[in-house]
Amino acid sequence: MTNLSEKNPATEASSWRNWEKYGFRFFFIFFALSVLPLSAAYWRNLGAIHWLHISYEDIFDITRYFPWISLAWSGYASLIIIAALALAGASGWALYDRSVCRRKTDLDKLHKWLRIILRYRLAIALLGYGLIKFFPLQAPYPSLSNLNTAYGDFTRWKVFSMSLGIVPGYQRFLGLIEMLSAFLLLNRKTTVIGAGIVIFFTGNVFLSNLAYDNGEGVYSLYLVIIALFLVSFDLGRIYSLLFQQKETLPADDALQWPPGWRANGRLAVKSVLILFFVIFYGAKTYSAYRLGDYYQLPQRKGLPGAAGVYTVSVFKWNGNDLPYALSDTLRWKDVVFENWATISVGTSRHLILDSTNKESIATEDLNRKYELSGSGGRQYYDYAVDSIHQALYLHNKNPHYPEDQWTLYYKRQGNKDWLLEGTDKRGNTVQVTLEKLARRYLLKEAAKTGRTELLRL
Amino acid sequence: MSIIKSYFESEGLSDMQSPDLTLAGSGPKPVSVRQATLNREDLPAWSASQKILFRIAFVFFVLMSLPFNAGWYHNLFTIDWLHLHYRDLYDIARFSPGLGFLRIPRNSWLSLLGYGNWVVLLVIAVVAGLVWSLADSRRRQYNLLYYWLRVIVRYRAGIGIIGFGFTKLFPVQMPYPSLGLLNTHFGDFTAQKIFWLSIGIVPWYQVFAGIIEVAAGTFLLFKRTTTLGAVMLLGALGDITYVNFAYDGGVHEYASYFVLLALFLLIKDAPYIYRLLIQKKAVRPFYIYPQLNGWQKVTRYILKGISLFLFLGVLFYVQYINFRYDPYKQPAVKGVSELRGNYEVQVFRINGREIPYNPLDKQRWQDVSFENWSSLSFRVARPTLLDLSNGGGSPMQDVLRSFEITGTAGGRNAFHYFADTLHNVLYLENKNMAGARQGRFKKRSGKAVKDVNRTADRHAVAALWNADSIRELIMNEKYQINPLAYSTRRDREYARPVLPKTDQMVLHYRALQGGNRLILDGLDPNRDSLHIELTRTHHTYYLTPSTLNAGTY
Repeated sequence: MTNLSEKNPATEASSWRNWEKYGFRFFFIFFALSVLPLSAAYWRNLGAIHWLHISYEDIFDITRYFPWISLAWSGYASLIIIAALALAGASGWALYDRSVCRRKTDLDKLHKWLRIILRYRLAIALLGYGLIKFFPLQAPYPSLSNLNTAYGDFTRWKVFSMSLGIVPGYQRFLGLIEMLSAFLLLNRKTTVIGAGIVIFFTGNVFLSNLAYDNGEGVYSLYLVIIALFLVSFDLGRIYSLLFQQKETLPADDALQWPPGWRANGRLAVKSVLILFFVIFYGAKTYSAYRLGDYYQLPQRKGLPGAAGVYTVSVFKWNGNDLPYALSDTLRWKDVVFENWATISVGTSRHLILDSTNKESIATEDLNRKYELSGSGGRQYYDYAVDSIHQALYLHNKNPHYPEDQWTLYYKRQGNKDWLLEGTDKRGNTVQVTLEKLARRYLLKEAAKTGRTELLRL
Repeated sequence: MSIIKSYFESEGLSDMQSPDLTLAGSGPKPVSVRQATLNREDLPAWSASQKILFRIAFVFFVLMSLPFNAGWYHNLFTIDWLHLHYRDLYDIARFSPGLGFLRIPRNSWLSLLGYGNWVVLLVIAVVAGLVWSLADSRRRQYNLLYYWLRVIVRYRAGIGIIGFGFTKLFPVQMPYPSLGLLNTHFGDFTAQKIFWLSIGIVPWYQVFAGIIEVAAGTFLLFKRTTTLGAVMLLGALGDITYVNFAYDGGVHEYASYFVLLALFLLIKDAPYIYRLLIQKKAVRPFYIYPQLNGWQKVTRYILKGISLFLFLGVLFYVQYINFRYDPYKQPAVKGVSELRGNYEVQVFRINGREIPYNPLDKQRWQDVSFENWSSLSFRVARPTLLDLSNGGGSPMQDVLRSFEITGTAGGRNAFHYFADTLHNVLYLENKNMAGARQGRFKKRSGKAVKDVNRTADRHAVAALWNADSIRELIMNEKYQINPLAYSTRRDREYARPVLPKTDQMVLHYRALQGGNRLILDGLDPNRDSLHIELTRTHHTYYLTPSTLNAGTY
């Protein structure tokens, strides 16, 4: 095997201890099985992309490859299975290398290749998340319905996401750190700094995923494993320099690229990747951000002039007038019209929540469920407006309540209030008077004036 | 300390074969300190600008790292070491830089977001550094002084962050939301509150954050782990600084103080790391440490031992006690157990007049909760003057622990009570101090000032229960926590039970049907008579309950 890398005499001689060899073979197979997109579903999704009208959501999905072998234990089983396969493979490989008649594999060179692939894999993952944070798209500002829901009626995951949603500037800062570490990883020499930031940053993301029951735990752990592997290369040197405080020699991890097609090819591949995942994806996320195209929020406009919070001053159920009562599970407590085509109704019923807590991107409004996922206390309806008959066709967005559908006829009362009247799928009738509330939110008022001003709310 | 020895020697590295250091690429040669014992004259001279910068930095960081306010020393010298409270040690660890007599007030335009005090110190340091440069111009280098400066900064940063970290390691800095907060709408909090609560709901994550901070601080106390500690400190506190700016958390200045100290501590090793890991060149690091003689060594061990014992040992214990029995942001005294829980208001009569339920009614209570501790919380759809502070500090008296109401609107009210369980009477006082603390607020608009005055007038007429008649109840509160958590600090504050001038109520309670119904009768702050009938609700929150609860109730 020709040795592409000329040994630099002033660098640490690369001699592999036995355990290092075993370890390396294991990790090489582990990463080969998990980094290379071997899943059919991934390629199917890739095939389904309209490449001429590719959206930032599509590119995000491309960056977010994870080898889902098993969904058990929130996906951690996948990593365990791959690890088991790698263990078996590494044993076979060790036997192969030990058989005298064959030539041994050049672990040095494989290691260098592996580092290149992992650096790019990790950088692309970080760009995937970094840009949708840098142009704050990952956590939108809480909807009107969410602002009018009690704190205890959210799941941890939802609280986490909304708490991030109120501070786009902080989201941007987090995105910036992810992008910075991606750039450091794309540059071979700064790999250890970039990977070091990932260990802290994504390690923290992993733990907050565990704490808040977010669905990204296994993926962030996987990224941390990659970063740990990359840093482990320099660990001995860091220890020698900083802890033992003694003279330390550098290591050479550069593959030498002979001039000609190989060097050009390398440059071309690198340029294309950066062009696609930084420039193109960046432009896509930026324009989505400018258009307010949050992938979590429905797109269709709501009933004109209706957006707001309403108290239900009159509520008739099958002709019976039900007075205000907190624990009545039939009576609507209040109603929110969002700017988009969603109506939410406050209820005392304990609901079965729709808790999608993974980053998944849906195109149809009915499936854009961020507003209701992890949120109790309210029923959320997607609706269509028939302005000729002045009718609203409501459809509960929560898949646990498929029968909860309404046809409601609306009438304006005065400038701000509405009368709704109609029937549900089971034939129950309601007559409702909605009075608009002049709500002011401390969240917004304090952001305007600061916390040192007197505020009466 | 005239003899300096290089680290190489102490490690016996003089025998190490010295490799050929002819390296590809240009750049400065690796710093090299050779084997033999070094005299000052052997050490490489510093450049003039290095020396001037160092002198300024020395004065600046010494000023930044030492306490210059009377309060700090008052605390230190009044500590009762035999009956410690965690706050005694915490207050040693926590001081912001600045000269007491030159301190810039918070709301002055000179405060520069709180960084004005840094600027003052920097100006002093520049002047002092330049004077020093004139006086000591022949000096060749300051290696030893640099070492000592790093020691001062390491201990300041290390102890400071350990003090901070322990309130997270035993999660009390961000409490799990009370019932009243759980029942408050998301839009009715300040951003600061939302961030604090978002950590409060995941106590194990808070523990993790605390471990990181305490570990970073511990690493800073040892010279070989200083860089690791500084990197951790930079990462953690850099994030916290940004969080404080983003959520208007109010602690940005103190958080970035640690960022600055961490950056200073990284200056020494950063070039080595850059050279070795990025430029891929060999590095011979240059570390010199003073060689201490007998009594100096003993002094060092004693000082270091005291620091470790106090801030890792004793603080661990008193902080645990605080977490277990007296979490500083929550009232510590048990609430009346038969009352605890959420209630719906079935009947509400004021001066004999019944008000039917309407979520918009300006007088009727809604959504009543008795906390596990001695607090009652309810909602009235009437605007109130809000307390927008962090609800922190270190008050000993339960009434002053206001985390459950600060930064919270939506008509939420929280009252502290003294319970006379013999006669089933609650003596309540409003925990919202916004009116009482009006002096702290800027009085910009005339309207706001008028609001305050009206509230103040109300206090004057509303002294419903006077302290004398229930003095015993008030005095007893001090003893109603686990004796392990008693402290002199607690005694002192309870010795002067300053009742805040807030609204007061007296309510007689009757629990019926095994606590499912509750009847309250009494007087509200306006001396209007109340008759309230409550029904217990069994609301299951969607939010996961805490598995690591502060306090014993």
